[in-house]
Amino acid sequence: MLLFWVVIIPVLAVALSAVLPARSRGAANLAAHGAVFVLAAALACRITSGTGVVVFGGVLRADALSAFFVLLISLVNLAALAYSRPYLREDIRAGALSPGQARGYDILFNVFAATMLVVPLLDNLGHMWVAVELTTLASAFLVGFYNTKASVEAAWKYVIICSVGITLALLGTVLVYYAVAAQTAVKTLDWSVIMSRASGLNPRLLSVAFLFILVGYGTKAGLAPMHTWLPDAHSQALTPVSALLSGVLLKTSLYAIIRFAMITNKAMGADFTSRLFIFFGLFSVAVAGIFLLAQKDFKRLLAYSSIEHVGIIVFALGVGTPLAVFGSMFHALNHAVTKSLVFFAAGNAVKKYKTHHLHMIHGLIQALPFTAAAALVGLLSLVGMPPFGIFMSKLMILSACFQKGLYAPAALLLFFLAVVFGALMFHLSASIFGNKPKGIEFGKEAWSMKLVFVSLILLLVLLGVMMPTPLQALLVSASRLIAGEGL
Amino acid sequence: MTIFLLTGIMISTYAMLVCQRVPALIQNFRLQSLFLFLVTLDFAFRQKEAGIFVVAGLLLLVKVVLIPSFLNNLVKKIRVDERLGLFLNPLLSLIAALFLTWGASVFCSWFLGTSPIAVFAAFVVSITVVLVGFFIMVFRMKALTQIVGLLVMENGIFLLASAITGGMPFFVEIAIAFDVFVCAIITGIFMYRINKVFTHIEVHRLTDLKG
Repeated sequence: MLLFWVVIIPVLAVALSAVLPARSRGAANLAAHGAVFVLAAALACRITSGTGVVVFGGVLRADALSAFFVLLISLVNLAALAYSRPYLREDIRAGALSPGQARGYDILFNVFAATMLVVPLLDNLGHMWVAVELTTLASAFLVGFYNTKASVEAAWKYVIICSVGITLALLGTVLVYYAVAAQTAVKTLDWSVIMSRASGLNPRLLSVAFLFILVGYGTKAGLAPMHTWLPDAHSQALTPVSALLSGVLLKTSLYAIIRFAMITNKAMGADFTSRLFIFFGLFSVAVAGIFLLAQKDFKRLLAYSSIEHVGIIVFALGVGTPLAVFGSMFHALNHAVTKSLVFFAAGNAVKKYKTHHLHMIHGLIQALPFTAAAALVGLLSLVGMPPFGIFMSKLMILSACFQKGLYAPAALLLFFLAVVFGALMFHLSASIFGNKPKGIEFGKEAWSMKLVFVSLILLLVLLGVMMPTPLQALLVSASRLIAGEGL
Repeated sequence: MTIFLLTGIMISTYAMLVCQRVPALIQNFRLQSLFLFLVTLDFAFRQKEAGIFVVAGLLLLVKVVLIPSFLNNLVKKIRVDERLGLFLNPLLSLIAALFLTWGASVFCSWFLGTSPIAVFAAFVVSITVVLVGFFIMVFRMKALTQIVGLLVMENGIFLLASAITGGMPFFVEIAIAFDVFVCAIITGIFMYRINKVFTHIEVHRLTDLKG
């Protein structure tokens, strides 16, 4: 029943958003997403303390990996929703949005949240594909929400590029289905069934299938060189949606890749996927580093930083030792929290200065001190300074890499991370400090926004200093699933 | 029978590459989907499974009737220049498509090994259709051609699934059909918006966002 409620509450929230008046709509949505978050936590506890799997009606199935992703998604959903209330209120006051559009936003937000939450809970790989494609379609309108030239262009590129990618992933899914049907005479797309029979599958078929899967879902996960839609979409979307895209949408695609990688690894050993992961991971970090150096747009800067972090996560999956996989999952969580924080701060800054251009955003600390402080904390966390979570996860990943003897990839990763560090520090410190331009007044944030910032910062510090025991148990069982029992 | 229908799919696929006007492209897509429907129907009769009949009926409804009519209406509504805008002229496109077909057959013989000729032919045709769909997306200028290219790619994958595996599980097929329909509608809406904001639908001129 737990799984059923996780899926159905956002759907109910869609219906409520369509009928309720503005004031009670906000409260109802917050309550709904708060409830989903609590349920996700309960699910995680039940899985780590019980048999490890919860099923519902033959369609929904959750193990530790699913539970972790559901927790991640519900957390960022809640934060984005809490931030979007004051954000939209300002937009309405400024005349950029009508109250009707705000209702549309609430409906789309909940549809988007519902599709994302259902992805990790579906056992059938075909249904999972449909759910991932629906996340694209649901969020396309949120990317093109302001209906300006730039946002329509971004939304178009987003829909088309991601749909092509996803179509290739469908091809990969069909090939996996064929491999299973040819080898075991069982016609199924259920991940749990395929996994139990994976050891006899034809390696040649699976290697081709996995390539399609990696390129296909990788497009949506933002792996370079298929990342071209990402900076456009992230920079043009409404800020709370940017945080969702970057924090969790990319990760739902990663989740799909991980599921297929588990099948492939079981059938043909981990070497094949491992090499691909390391290559695409390093390439993404490198591309992100280069584009970060030359970046002029505040939100595109953060988008490229997302590509970098997805690269790190995929790289760690490639390293493949339990420590590295643990680090990878932990990094996904840290990145989601940090990136939400920084995007929210960026959203406030962009709204205050009425521009995306980095060279016009100066002296944030004088204009919006609270936002500036949040941006600074986020920046330090993003580049991997202690005492925040990303420092810990990067440390885990790199030490796992050295333990395994992968010196050259580790050295390359460190080099590219240094480039990213320099670029982010250079651009963002200039925006945060310095003197504010004339004509920009001192401003204050709404208290609810401050609350979101403070809770995210506290969470970041908590993750870096002392990981809560239940979370650790969840991450351990999730990474044990991915890395295989033998490790 | 199957080979005959597959030939029909091939012809309609090549026809998409030589046509130069938007209505012709949509019409060829409709024709391709119709052949795809016939392949599925043929298959359903041989397997005698109720599920496959439903899938075939859905295919007829969504890809032969609804999506092409929707696209035609949209084109009429935005009253845009009917020429497709070719980056590569019909002859060169056709030659490229022949190479794609050859590549698909090489890939398939490496991939499948020995298998019945009908399965092999279906495999080659479906991979060719996917590649041609991608080709249309890249080498034609209009936003509409990207939508059609995407749908063509999906047709190819559908054919592949029914040719080599006898179709995906029933509920997966239903879900995918629904998804394709929603995708066509949403991309159509965005095309409408592009036309409204930019007063054209030529995607190679959408270059505001860079770097």
